[in-house]
Amino acid sequence: MDFKPSPERQILFDTLKKYFENEYSLSDRNIAAHSDLGYSKKAWEAMRDLGILESLIDPELDGFGGTALDISTVFEALGRGLVVEPFLEVGILAAKVLSRGNDVQKSLVKKILENECLPILAHSETDTEYAKSFVETKLSVETDGSYKISGAKRMIKHAAEATHFLVTCRNTGDASSEEGISIACIPTDREGIKIDSFATIDGGRVSDLTFTNVGISSEELVGELGMSYSIVSHAIDTGILAICSEALGIMERIKELTLEYLKTRKQFGVPIGKFQAIQHRMAQLLVEIEQARSSVINATIYFDDETEREKTISAAKFSIGKIGTMVAEESIQLHGGMGMTWEYDLGHYAKRLVLIDHEFGDEDFHLQKYISL
Amino acid sequence: MDLNFTKEQENFQIEVRSFLNDNLEPQVVEKVKNGIPITKEDSERWHQKLNERGWLAGTWPKQYGGQEWDVVEKFIFEEECGSAGAPRIVPFGVGMLAPVLMKFGSQEQRDYWLPRMLTGEDWWCQGYSEPGSGSDLASLKTSAVRDGDHYIVNGQKTWTTFAQHANMIFCLVRTSNEGKPQEGISFILIDMNSPGIEVRPIITLDGSHEVNEIFFSDVKVPAKNLVGEENKGWTYAKYLLTHERTGNANVAVSKRKIQKLKKLADDAKKNEQPLSNDPMFASRLAQIEIDLQNLEITNLRTLASVENGEAPGAESSIIKILGSEIEQDIDNLTRKSLGKRAFVNEPDALSVGYNGAEVFPKAAAYASGKYFNHRKKSIYAGSNEIQKNIISKLMLNL
Repeated sequence: MDFKPSPERQILFDTLKKYFENEYSLSDRNIAAHSDLGYSKKAWEAMRDLGILESLIDPELDGFGGTALDISTVFEALGRGLVVEPFLEVGILAAKVLSRGNDVQKSLVKKILENECLPILAHSETDTEYAKSFVETKLSVETDGSYKISGAKRMIKHAAEATHFLVTCRNTGDASSEEGISIACIPTDREGIKIDSFATIDGGRVSDLTFTNVGISSEELVGELGMSYSIVSHAIDTGILAICSEALGIMERIKELTLEYLKTRKQFGVPIGKFQAIQHRMAQLLVEIEQARSSVINATIYFDDETEREKTISAAKFSIGKIGTMVAEESIQLHGGMGMTWEYDLGHYAKRLVLIDHEFGDEDFHLQKYISL
Repeated sequence: MDLNFTKEQENFQIEVRSFLNDNLEPQVVEKVKNGIPITKEDSERWHQKLNERGWLAGTWPKQYGGQEWDVVEKFIFEEECGSAGAPRIVPFGVGMLAPVLMKFGSQEQRDYWLPRMLTGEDWWCQGYSEPGSGSDLASLKTSAVRDGDHYIVNGQKTWTTFAQHANMIFCLVRTSNEGKPQEGISFILIDMNSPGIEVRPIITLDGSHEVNEIFFSDVKVPAKNLVGEENKGWTYAKYLLTHERTGNANVAVSKRKIQKLKKLADDAKKNEQPLSNDPMFASRLAQIEIDLQNLEITNLRTLASVENGEAPGAESSIIKILGSEIEQDIDNLTRKSLGKRAFVNEPDALSVGYNGAEVFPKAAAYASGKYFNHRKKSIYAGSNEIQKNIISKLMLNL
C-alpha cells in the first residue's frame, strides 16, 4: 500500500508551493482580493504561464492533466498559497461543462488556455438551496425554435469579469427535478442580463445575475435540451473535490503558522506551547486535520466510480466543513489578538477556510445527503 | 426562591422601556439589530440623550450625577437596552475608570474627571495590553519615570479600543523594577494630545478599525495624574478588571439576536421548506436557546449573591466564558443560516452614501464580518483560558 503521490505530481506540488512562497505575496494578494476586480490579472496571467490551467484540463482539450488526483494536487497547492484567482470557476466548473459541449464550446476550453475568454458557470439560485438539481430559471421554446431564458442566479463568483455565462435553466420538471435541466452558453453582453456585484469577506467578488427574456439559439445549448443535469452534477462534484483539497492546503498552512506561534510567543517567561492545556488543543488540531486529509483521499480514490462518487464527495465535504470551522476558530484563539489582525496571514486563511463551507453545500447539507445515499 | 422583580423594579422596567421607545433613533437601531457597526457620532448622540435623563452612569453615586442603581436595576436597564437595540454605552470612562477614581482617586481627580465623562468632553481609552504582555499582563514594560512634578512615559500599548476617538487614556505603567512584577506598576491618566504620542490603527481580519497601537516616546505627564499611590496600580487594575467582566452575560442582546436569527431562518428555504423546519438547523438553534436560558439563570444567581452582599469573585469568570461563547455560537449559526449570502461583506450597506447593490437580507451585509470580528470575545477582557485559570485557582483550589 502506498499513499504517496506519483513523482510527477509531487514535483508539480513542490513547484507550485515554491512559486507561491516566492512569487505570490499575501499582502499583494489581499489588496487584489478586496479590490473592485477581486483578483489580480497580472497574477492570473503569471500563473497561467506556469501551466496550472493545463494541469486541470484533459489532454484531448490541449491540457495535460484533469484527473481527480491532478485536481486535488493542484488545489491543495492553491490553498497553501491562498490563491484568489478564478481557477475553480474557470479551470474546473466552466471547463468541465464546456468539455461536454459541441465543437464550438470545446474550442472555448482551448481559448481559456490561451487567455482569450473567461467563462463562468451561473448555476446557484437561492442562498440556502444547495441541491445540484435546484433550478427554477425558465427556458421557454419560441415559435421559431429558438429559446428564451428568464430567472435569477445568486452569489456567482467572478461573474462581473466573465466573457461567457453557462446558465442552467429548465423547460420541464419541478424545481429540484434532475429531468429538464439545460445549460446555455452565451456571451455576457447579451441583452437582458443584469449584474449586481458585492465585495466578499474571503476575497474575490460575487454577483447576483438577473436574466430577463434573454434570447439564445439551439446551438448555444451545452448537451441536449433538458438532459444536462449529469454535466452540471459532474462539474460541481469536481468543484467540491477541488475546494476540499484547497481547504487541506489552507489547514496545513494554518497548522504551520500556529505551531510557529506557539513556539515563539512567550508569556509568563516561557513559550506558550509549553503549557499542557495549549499542547492538547494543538494536538487535537493535528488529529482533525489528518482525518480531513483522509476524507479527501477517499473522495479522490472513488471519484471515477459512478456508484461511490457522490457518497465519498459528501463525506469529504461534511468532514471539511466541520473540521475547517473548528481549525479556523481554534487557530485564531491560540493566536490571541494576533489571529484577529488583517496584517497577519492567519486570519485570511481562516476566513477562506470557513467560507468554503458555504460553497456547494455546507456540512449539514452533505451529512443529510450522505444519509440519503 | 423568588425570581420575580419587586413592584418598584417592575415600574423601573416600564420607565426604561418607554424612555428607549421615545429616544432611540430608528436608523441607529436598524444598524444595531442588523449587527452593523455604529459610528462615533451615533454613540455620542446616544450618550447625550442618556445623560440628559441621568442614566449614562446609573450606578454612580447621586453626588456625581448617578442614580445609585443596585445590581438589579443595572441589570434591568442593560437588558432593556439590549433588547431594544440601543447602542452599548462605551464603557471605558463611565464603566471602568470611574469606579477606580471613586475608590482610589483623589477628591480633586473625581471632581475634575467624572463630570467630563458625563458631558462627553473626554473620550477615554484603556492602556493595559502591550505587545509582550497580554495574558501575562503584569510583565508590562511601558515605563514612567518621575522628573520633578512630571512623569516621563516611554513604551508601547496595543489592542487599544477606540484610541482613534479618544482624547484621554488610563494606563498601567512600570514605576519600579524591584520585587515582584505586580509590585512596580502604577495607574496614570495621560492626555492623548501630548507630544510624543503616536496612534497607529490595527485593522482586524474583517477589515474594521476598532483597535490601535499607541507609541509613547518621552511623553510628559503631570504627576497629579497619578491615581492612588505609586506602585499600587496592580490592585486598581484588578479592581477594574472585575468591573469589566461583570455585565458580560449579554443575555438580552443574545435573545434579540436569536429572534433575528429565527426570522432569517423562517424566510430562507432549504429543500424547498423554511430553513427553520430543517431538523439539523432546528437542533443547532435549540441547543443555543437552551444554553442561553441556562445562562440567564446562572447570571441571575450571580446577581442575587451580589445583591445579598457577596462580592463577585470567580463567578464573573463563569459568566464571561458563557456569555462570549453563546454570542459566538449565535453569530456562527447566523452566518450558516445565510448560506451563500454569507460571502457578502458590505458593512457600509446601511450607511448614507452607500451606492453599491442592495444587500438583502440586510443582516447579510456584515454577518460573516461580525462572526469573525466576534472571535475577539473569547480573547479580550482576559481570554477564556485565563478565566479558566481563575476558576481553577479560586473555586477549585487546584
